[in-house]
Amino acid sequence: MTTPALELRRLTKRFPARGRIGTQGDGGFLAVDRVDLTLPRNRVVALVGESGSGKTTTGLLALRLLGATGGTILLDGEDITTLNPKAMKAYRRRMQVVFQDSYASLDPMMTLGEIIAEPLGIHGLLTAAERRDQARRWLEKVGLDPSYASRYPHELSGGQRQRVSVARALVLGPTVLVADEPTSALDVSVKAQIINLLQDLQADMGLSMLFISHDLSVVRSFADEVVVMFRGRVVERAPADRIFDDARHPYTRALLDAVPVADPKARRRRKFLTAEEIAAATPRFAAHELEREPLLDTAEPQLVALAGSHYVEAVVGG
Amino acid sequence: MRLVEIEDLHVSFAQHEGLVQAVRGVSFSLDAGESLGIVGESGSGKSVTCSALLRLLREPPAKITAATLKLAGEDVLGARNRTISNLRGRIAAMVFQDPMTSLDPVFTIGHQIAETIRAHQKISKKDAFDRAVDLLRRVEIKNPASIARYYPHQLSGGMLQRAMIAMALSCAPKVLIADEPTTALDVTIQAQILQLIKDIQAETGMGLVMITHDLGVVAETVDRVVVMYGGRVMETGPVEAIFEAPLHPYTKALLGSMPGQVAGKRRLVEIPGASPNPAHPPSGCPFHPRCPMATLECREIEPRLEEKLAGRSAACIHVPAQQRVPEAVA
Amino acid sequence: MLSYIVRRTLSMLVTFVVVSVVIFLMMHAITGGPFDGYDMPLPDNIRARLMAQLGLDQPIWVQYLRYMWGVLHFDFGVPYQSPGETVLSLIAQAWVPSLTLGGLGMIIGAPIGILLGTTAALNRNSPIDYLASALATLGLTIPVFVISMLLILIFAVWLGWLPADGWGEPKKWILPIMAYAAVPIATYARYARSAVLDTLNKPFVTVLRAKGLSERRVIFQHVMRNSAIPMVTIFLPMFVGIATGSIFVEAMFRVPGLGAFFVSSIDKRDYPLEMALMLLLTMMFCVSYLISDVLYAVLNPRIRIDGGER
Repeated sequence: MTTPALELRRLTKRFPARGRIGTQGDGGFLAVDRVDLTLPRNRVVALVGESGSGKTTTGLLALRLLGATGGTILLDGEDITTLNPKAMKAYRRRMQVVFQDSYASLDPMMTLGEIIAEPLGIHGLLTAAERRDQARRWLEKVGLDPSYASRYPHELSGGQRQRVSVARALVLGPTVLVADEPTSALDVSVKAQIINLLQDLQADMGLSMLFISHDLSVVRSFADEVVVMFRGRVVERAPADRIFDDARHPYTRALLDAVPVADPKARRRRKFLTAEEIAAATPRFAAHELEREPLLDTAEPQLVALAGSHYVEAVVGG
Repeated sequence: MRLVEIEDLHVSFAQHEGLVQAVRGVSFSLDAGESLGIVGESGSGKSVTCSALLRLLREPPAKITAATLKLAGEDVLGARNRTISNLRGRIAAMVFQDPMTSLDPVFTIGHQIAETIRAHQKISKKDAFDRAVDLLRRVEIKNPASIARYYPHQLSGGMLQRAMIAMALSCAPKVLIADEPTTALDVTIQAQILQLIKDIQAETGMGLVMITHDLGVVAETVDRVVVMYGGRVMETGPVEAIFEAPLHPYTKALLGSMPGQVAGKRRLVEIPGASPNPAHPPSGCPFHPRCPMATLECREIEPRLEEKLAGRSAACIHVPAQQRVPEAVA
Repeated sequence: MLSYIVRRTLSMLVTFVVVSVVIFLMMHAITGGPFDGYDMPLPDNIRARLMAQLGLDQPIWVQYLRYMWGVLHFDFGVPYQSPGETVLSLIAQAWVPSLTLGGLGMIIGAPIGILLGTTAALNRNSPIDYLASALATLGLTIPVFVISMLLILIFAVWLGWLPADGWGEPKKWILPIMAYAAVPIATYARYARSAVLDTLNKPFVTVLRAKGLSERRVIFQHVMRNSAIPMVTIFLPMFVGIATGSIFVEAMFRVPGLGAFFVSSIDKRDYPLEMALMLLLTMMFCVSYLISDVLYAVLNPRIRIDGGER
């Protein structure tokens, strides 16, 4: 078993309660609550959830763009949780990100060539001429004409800008790519292009990708494993087909159920659970139903292992 | 009398950079009780079409022309301001995309709903507020009496959108126009809001126009579909037919490129290129730069929306008028 | 809300003390003392005695503390330039004309400016808009003494309608008030125009129209209320600046106000008067910002409830 490309252990982020008029400071808001996540080499793990689930925060924590309150982050087996910025710089080469808003991600005053070459310059790699060359090659790799190197972001469409974001992220040859809702802001007819692009590059470069999304349909054709988050906690984790065929946690089921189906004949009325009802409907398993001993001896909900690498947040008991 | 009648609608905007042609000859209609979905991507002109119907665009810079633009039999283009104000909210009500920015931040929810009622009926402030609370209850908001006293910034997106729907229903409109009502919401909330809209439509028998880019939403909600692209209508037809056997290459491509339809990891079918820029629309058929079936003629001829099958029209010179339903798309 | 006001008041007091120290030091940093500027130079021993009498031979921090101690008892000392009265009575007397004329200029100017700016915004890019914007720019760029001179020239000399100077009867107030009003009119016109345009572009305004509300209701009930908040909060700080008197306007119209003292007290090294004037200004500004902030919180439901952004 090789070292996973990225591992998050009991990662926690608590935001302090803002000093509001008339409030006393309380414990603060727990955005990410002891999250465990493993990103194996050369695999795509999708992190799904709705607003408030903590999925984007988790991504930012993993990238060390936000400071964690607790837990550990391991990149290629090395602990990077508390490294200072200078020490982090070397690791940043191995871990890159593509964000949702391609318009805001690219400096409007720089040409596309400069944007893609910039990371190389920051890490002191290659000569200026070689960097320019690399930028042009990467433009081609992401499906744009190399002559675009002299163009500016505002001259491109959303999908094209996102391609440039991908090129910029991959020019350093990272091992881990975190993609935070990369297609959410794109037109339907363009989403498929970007997903295919990411899929191709991932296979080519053996990237380990953490794909954050609220869109389960997008995830289905792309992910190896799916991690579902709800209110800061991981509630289910399984290989992609198991999640879609055999979800065990009520939240995952609710999420899957809510996705509109592109088949008019399959219309049906849905029954909805409130968030409270979901929180109260934690699955319960007897010890013998589990694949492995539960990690903690407690009556509190925890991630338990079911057959087939399928983990669910559940209560263990009779 | 049809509820909505649009024939050859053109909407353009005079901007510094030039003329932006948002809508270039759109025609469709809606009868009472019908539900229609307008599907399109950014730049398709779907939102502008419905905004033009209620004259919600600033004219100038917008310029609206049409052979027919009628709402409940009233001509919208030539109408006086008072007629338009009368139509808005009472005959046709709109629900917009982002509930967070759609409400006035300095007034309570209840006040804003009551205000709508009082704009169209002679009724006391108290009575109007009570009705507002009733409406909030109807859209499944718990504790409607206290929620009515809240300000918009205190409520979540889902609750605000329910309040918007309540506001739209307040004067019992004949048609509800929903412009991407769930795009800004979470998936579970989206499902609830769509179901609410459908329930209310069934209950009141009002017409529904659902504008969206999401084919799944269309499949779930409406009976008939209008597919728009590049400011024009590409295809119209009943929803089942559109999904089972689409006629127009754009519709086919769109359906084919939807992710998540088939289980398992796979490469998706792409549509190359990008949506057309309304400031520089392509010549001839707007889809031709990206169409797998495009020929030289497609660049020259602007295909007309013609009936190819009973109740189904498409704007493509390569789709022949047929007697039989074509083979279903795999 | 109460704790907010308390906290702001405390920080205001801290600001006040810090500013007073800085001003005191700056004041004394200017070379020369009150007795060095006379044409008739004083003999050294007489000068030394005078300085000692006024406590000017003490170390700086002693002078500061003694002065501030007096301030706490509302004793601002005696102005060097007219030892017959106290600083307090001098300021109290001179402030009345400044406050009256400047205050009225503000109270009349602000609404006119708002009207001008709103009309411009509602008729964007029309001739009215360009005219209003031009007027606003002129009001801000033409120096107030030039405006004063023009007013005198037009209304007093050419037309002979209004008197050009003095302070006595209200008729004499009209021209100086017009001169004072120029800046508020111009500033408010610009603020109002941009605030109203901003609001008009917000999505909720389209929704209001879609509900079938009359345009009148949309503008007066909704747009104005949303645009008003920033305009209310700039009123007080602007008021403070104008109501303490402009040396130019008071000089041109020969109004016995505070304006002249601001300059003369520095020029003559009249430390007590200078200090008192500065403290007055500082206190007024601090209080006006405090009131503005509280007012903003009251008017904006987002801050009033919840105490801030969510």
